[in-house]
Amino acid sequence: MSLFNKISLLLLLIPFAGLSQNNCNISLHGQALDEVTGKPLPFASIYLEDIQKGTSADADGYFAFDGLCPDTTHIRISHVSCEPLRQYLIIQKDTILNLYLHHHEELMDEVLVHGRHSDQTIENSGTIDKDLISQRSNQDLSKVIEEITGVSTLNTGSGISKPIIHGLYGNRIALLNNGVAQAGQQWGNDHAPEIDVFSADHISVVKGVGALALPGSSLGGVVLIEPGATSEDPHLHGSTNHVYQTNGRGFTVNLELEQGGLEKAIRFNGTLKKGGDLHTPDYFLNNTGKEESNASLFYEFGKSKAWQKKLYASTFNSTIGILRGAHIGNLTDLLLSFERETPFFTEEVFSYEIEAPRQRVHHHLAKLEAENAWAGNQKVSLTYAAQLNQREEFDVRRSGRSDTPALSLIQFNQQASALYERNFSKGLLLRTGLNGAYTDNTNQPETGILPLIPDFNRFDEEAFLIIQNEKAKLLTEIGGRLSLNQLHVVTISRDLPRRIERFNHQFSNVNLAGGLAYSPSRVLKLSVNGGYVERAPAVNELYSFGLHQGVSSLEVGNQNLEKEKSLKTTTSLDINWNDKLFLQLLGYAQSIRNYIYLKPAPEPELTIRGAFPLFNYDQADAFFRGFDALLSLEPVESVRLVSKLSLLKGTDQSNGIPLVFMAPNNLSNEISLSLPDGQRLKNSRISGRLKSVFEQKNYIEGLDFVNPPPTYHLFEMEFHTALSTEKNAFHFSIRGENLLDVSYRDYLNRQRYFADELGRNLTFRVQWEF
Amino acid sequence: MKKLFFITLAAFAFTACEKDDPIIPNEEELITTLIYTLTPDGGGNPVELKFQDLDGDGGNVPVISGGTLTSNTTYSGSLKLLNEIESEDITLEVEEEGDEHQFFFSVSGLNANVDYADTDANGKPVGINTTLTTGATSNGQLTITLRHEPAKDASGVANGDITNAGGETDIEVTFDVAIQ
Repeated sequence: MSLFNKISLLLLLIPFAGLSQNNCNISLHGQALDEVTGKPLPFASIYLEDIQKGTSADADGYFAFDGLCPDTTHIRISHVSCEPLRQYLIIQKDTILNLYLHHHEELMDEVLVHGRHSDQTIENSGTIDKDLISQRSNQDLSKVIEEITGVSTLNTGSGISKPIIHGLYGNRIALLNNGVAQAGQQWGNDHAPEIDVFSADHISVVKGVGALALPGSSLGGVVLIEPGATSEDPHLHGSTNHVYQTNGRGFTVNLELEQGGLEKAIRFNGTLKKGGDLHTPDYFLNNTGKEESNASLFYEFGKSKAWQKKLYASTFNSTIGILRGAHIGNLTDLLLSFERETPFFTEEVFSYEIEAPRQRVHHHLAKLEAENAWAGNQKVSLTYAAQLNQREEFDVRRSGRSDTPALSLIQFNQQASALYERNFSKGLLLRTGLNGAYTDNTNQPETGILPLIPDFNRFDEEAFLIIQNEKAKLLTEIGGRLSLNQLHVVTISRDLPRRIERFNHQFSNVNLAGGLAYSPSRVLKLSVNGGYVERAPAVNELYSFGLHQGVSSLEVGNQNLEKEKSLKTTTSLDINWNDKLFLQLLGYAQSIRNYIYLKPAPEPELTIRGAFPLFNYDQADAFFRGFDALLSLEPVESVRLVSKLSLLKGTDQSNGIPLVFMAPNNLSNEISLSLPDGQRLKNSRISGRLKSVFEQKNYIEGLDFVNPPPTYHLFEMEFHTALSTEKNAFHFSIRGENLLDVSYRDYLNRQRYFADELGRNLTFRVQWEF
Repeated sequence: MKKLFFITLAAFAFTACEKDDPIIPNEEELITTLIYTLTPDGGGNPVELKFQDLDGDGGNVPVISGGTLTSNTTYSGSLKLLNEIESEDITLEVEEEGDEHQFFFSVSGLNANVDYADTDANGKPVGINTTLTTGATSNGQLTITLRHEPAKDASGVANGDITNAGGETDIEVTFDVAIQ
């Protein structure tokens, strides 16, 4: 898979004697292995592109080239039902090379993706690799990581989605883009993360609570969006990806270019997206177009020096149309919408036009990181990052004001961190560090509307310490983090005369986590992880006041909220039976005291626009328990069966009622068949998947405006093939979603009050790697 | 390198100053007040139905004053919308965008009937000017609704039936009214 998979390839170069040999008798021996299981991949084919020599591995994955001259070459390795791998190689002396392929990409996690010998951790995680990211580059980040069990999305229509991990989302989830905690308006249920999925090499979701070293809240899991390491390859390589989807007639174009080297490396990454009105099986969803233009630049220098420096800059710009029929006035309108078959304003006309209501978002990030490793066991890294986020939301307004935003916020965020890591002998590892962040959030007065959330400054300071011990088959970890949050808020009074008022809040939070992982044999791995996490209330929970677009309800903050206190444990069991059957089971329980939620008020709020349901931020004790399971079975080499199951139950213990917006239980079953390689077409496979999302039964009447929608089943198919020439590779794929054109609504979509989900969608993709 | 880093760290910790006072937005779109003035056709004192929420959403609760009408009488009705914070007459905005707006009048328990007495550029009613005809003595409510971007061509809408109008509600106020 050319330069993309460099990170996943664990290169083991063992020089023999170190004598330089200028004659043509160098040998290159190695073994092709499965990244996940470490199991040999028999009969893999290996090709040295620039030397034009090829061979096949034997039944144990071993291969050998002899009589090579000193040279540089690209080595390409492919195996049935794995994405091929391409790597730059300097042939200088006799070398043993172990090549790891993603034969089981559904089983990848954060530890594996970084290599077995670094970043060991007891946290439970799931990872999406670059192959899947490239295949889904027309989708949102959240939709892509939904592939990981236990992860679901909170949606506003089909254009806006936010990740939910084990039932928690928004302020309780941290998104780390390139190690930097994503700033921006993450509190909003209709505010999607401002990150281009294609800019990532891999994305991991940490489900447990052990993520203390990472900045930001980790009460509900962490999403890591990582760019991957650069290569040593001095040639310019890259790939372009063209995607067309029939539903919404959407185009996506991606470009990635990379020039590596021993001293410095540079990588550019860009995405353009444009889509028009989407449609359900029965009608168009008017004004649901989307435009996106994103770019990032990664520059690594001083690679061979003591201080290795990395500079990263990215820009994300999107305009998202919101279903016109979901933009309504008061409670009466809302009740009327519920009764309609098709939303108001539905027209049988396709358009790329994006009108109000719409969102326009810009997010820019710059980051500088310097790392120094010495004595083979110590490492220090320093990071500084700045982010600028601008969000404008446009409503349908009178007198040409639809072009004036109804919400306009600019947020500036700076972060700095210092980390130190030391490996002691006898498997003891110590990690410690400091993180600091400063956020400045300002409303732009152009709106002509009192702001939904006030202007504020926030300081966050954190210090953490983690100790890890690896003894034979047992890995234990214990850690703690102290954090201090200071919030200075400036509000405008709701009564007359309008006054400016200032409030200060200070919270100190203690986080503790510990766990152990025990693997008595290759067959079994057991891990238990537990932690106590505190989270200070966010500014919207304390101060928001106003109408939330699309849901027609007034949300009112509560200045007296206390911090949330969470206790979570996860227990996981991984079974590998004969390298044919893999089973990953994860059970979790989380208790949150002072869980902050929106409590419906008994009486609606009366305004000149009529009555609105009123919701006040309140606190209760909540309890979550759930179970994730993943089964991967390979009865014969070319057939694979993957099943994923997620169960969750959330309860408001104080009031003895279920929690709203909990992910319904869901099951996905996929079968894929690898086809034999043809003369030119290789790596062909066909797969079919049945996704079932069950009705949310943990619900009582009156908890939401409308009862949860019934169970639905969706059928998907995908065909992929690849064509490799001397220096190029072409990938072709066709993917069909909701092939049976089922009309359904999803419980976690806030627009389910108004409209159905998308009908059949075919996605065509061509990727060219060079 | 390390030094530089800590200087940066310290710099941003100390340069971050108090937030400036926010600029209080000019709430020009807000409607604080609706006045429905009913003048008897044969002369007499006009009746004023008034909904007033001077500080907008939140803050103090709105003040609503209903009225008493005479039975079997025809009134000329005229609506006025005000933004009393910015001292603006919003009626003009609605009038200018008459084709994108329509008022709807519905009664419950009242023997009264409201007919449109104005049209927009396309000859469809707007409802700023109306005729209200009372019947026999009764007590009940009159609800006035302003819809933005309604489907003015939809069935019944031109006759004041809100059922198929759609659009979004900009105003919905209910008055207690007595007919004596």
